[in-house]
Amino acid sequence: MNRIAIALWNPIVSKEYRSRMRTWRSPLAMTVYILLLGGVGWAIFSSTASTARNSFNGAQAANYGQILFLWLVLFQMVLLAFITPALTAGAVSSERERQTIDLLFVTKLPAFSILWGKLLASMSFVILLLLLSVPIFSLVFLFGGIELDQVLTAFLVTAVAALTLGIIGLACSTAFKRTLPATVAAYGAAFILLAGSLLFGLLFPTNIDPNATRAPAPPAVTYLSPILPLVVIGTNGPVNGYGVRNGIYPMAQGGGMACSAGPNGAQSCYMTTVPIGKGAFGQPFNPPQPSGTTIPSGLFSGWQYWQATVTMQLIISLVALILSAVLLPPIRHLPWRRRGQVTT
Amino acid sequence: MITVEGLTKIYGSRTALDHVSFEVPKGEIFGFVGPNGAGKTTTLRILAALLEPTSGRALVDGADVIEHPGLVHERLGYMPDFFGVYDQLTAGEYLDFYASCYRVPKARRKKIADDLLELVGLTDRRDQAVDTLSRGLKQRLCLARALVHDPAVLLLDEPASGLDPRARVEMREILKELQTMGKTIVISSHILPELTELCTMIGIIDQGRMRATGPVQDVIRQLTTGRRLRITVLGQKEEAAAVLKPLAAVHEVMMVNGAVEAQYDGDDAVAAGILQALTAAGIKVSGFSEVEGGLEDAFMKATSEDI
Repeated sequence: MNRIAIALWNPIVSKEYRSRMRTWRSPLAMTVYILLLGGVGWAIFSSTASTARNSFNGAQAANYGQILFLWLVLFQMVLLAFITPALTAGAVSSERERQTIDLLFVTKLPAFSILWGKLLASMSFVILLLLLSVPIFSLVFLFGGIELDQVLTAFLVTAVAALTLGIIGLACSTAFKRTLPATVAAYGAAFILLAGSLLFGLLFPTNIDPNATRAPAPPAVTYLSPILPLVVIGTNGPVNGYGVRNGIYPMAQGGGMACSAGPNGAQSCYMTTVPIGKGAFGQPFNPPQPSGTTIPSGLFSGWQYWQATVTMQLIISLVALILSAVLLPPIRHLPWRRRGQVTT
Repeated sequence: MITVEGLTKIYGSRTALDHVSFEVPKGEIFGFVGPNGAGKTTTLRILAALLEPTSGRALVDGADVIEHPGLVHERLGYMPDFFGVYDQLTAGEYLDFYASCYRVPKARRKKIADDLLELVGLTDRRDQAVDTLSRGLKQRLCLARALVHDPAVLLLDEPASGLDPRARVEMREILKELQTMGKTIVISSHILPELTELCTMIGIIDQGRMRATGPVQDVIRQLTTGRRLRITVLGQKEEAAAVLKPLAAVHEVMMVNGAVEAQYDGDDAVAAGILQALTAAGIKVSGFSEVEGGLEDAFMKATSEDI
């Protein structure tokens, strides 16, 4: 237990806290973060307040609350996607550039402890930013329409996404010798995680199976992005009109089907040739529509979107952390390498 | 205390170390000398378990640097040739941080930091930010850092480089103090006269090969062939040279700073014979002494030809 405690709470953490909080950058980053998030909150609050001046009822208030919450969580996620890689992408490479890394390697700290210390210090700052945003999020409760569990889940998704981005940044910092390429790679990975996976859903959507008994769901890759679960949590509704193929495309037995998204995002399809299974030629055919906040079909069928996202991101984080721990030591004792080979 | 056997390091097509072997017994100060790029830093980095050799073996206090790097790190303090310091930390905090990295109990850290700051003469800089210290003071602080866990072995890579003469003298005094504390020290340096005075053993490396190793005087004797006499005469230098040159034991005669220097083979009896020959020829000899071979001579000899 003591060894675990030592591994988790090591000198790097306290040194990083001390160094980080003694500079002007940290208070500035916190101030800018709060101002930006508060500014967005205030802008949305003001616009809804002016719209609602003439007619305002409980249902509208709840709707405004949802809109405010959705914008805030999405904006917070984007802000953290910019901040987190910057916190970790230089964690190891800057030690190399400053020529302090060898001095750490010759101590009794194992490589994993060095990484863990760097990660814990960076993530603590992210948690601090998240805590600082709580008063701004409390604005949402003025309007209603958002439950506490939605806020907590959204914060969990955001924190795990930030952790993933942080660990990816740390892995880049370990893999690249210089901070600049490590930072570029970390931001590239952040873009792929947040936007690239969503783009995948647009480019390679799930084909609608007319024989399916369950509603189609976007490809599993899209759950990598925290944006999707945050939208689901914010709207408290199903994913409609995203990641599922619209238009005309052939079916296995020679038939075809045309689908399009309705005004509410629901899929509306009809058979174009020979009827296969349900529906008839030229007759409208409506596949099962998604409902609720669970994933209707596919690999994560029945899971909440946020559960799938958090699971996938934690797996990525674990892999990236192990990779970093293998790459970091100056002499790598890889399991497949024969010991004692250096002896003449 | 330190054993290096057949250490070889190859980077691509370049051989940085070519079967380097040497031993440093406990309590010795081993001077590691060689021109730039000779392989000194590579050897020290391998000894510090920071670099994997292509072949060969290195042991620090019995611990193999590849098999047991953790044990090696416990037993040695390493000071690299180039190193950085952290911003926003004072000298006291800097030592406290590294002491905690070596798992020194918290209760002992303050005293250790105070003692080490006193040893390296930085007590009055305890609360000064390390990044504002001069290079000489940073070198001293880095030496203190290498000692926070009281290692038996110290690896110091060019500890005096970039220091002014006064700081070099101070660094030398600190190393002497460490020697009296029983530390085994390996020190690489270009400043040969200082090494002659400080080191008990020496290793001369050039182009990745160990040219000579052993106690300082043995190495000097091994590399400087023959003995040299400095003879001062009263205005008869040419005549003295004419007497010396035909002697069988003398193989070189030179005029150096107003004196005659003769390189010869043989013992003290031969030297006495040379003096007798000079006086017999009527040369008025006012000074007759043997010139000690220096480390610089040995170094130049070792690094200028294949042995």
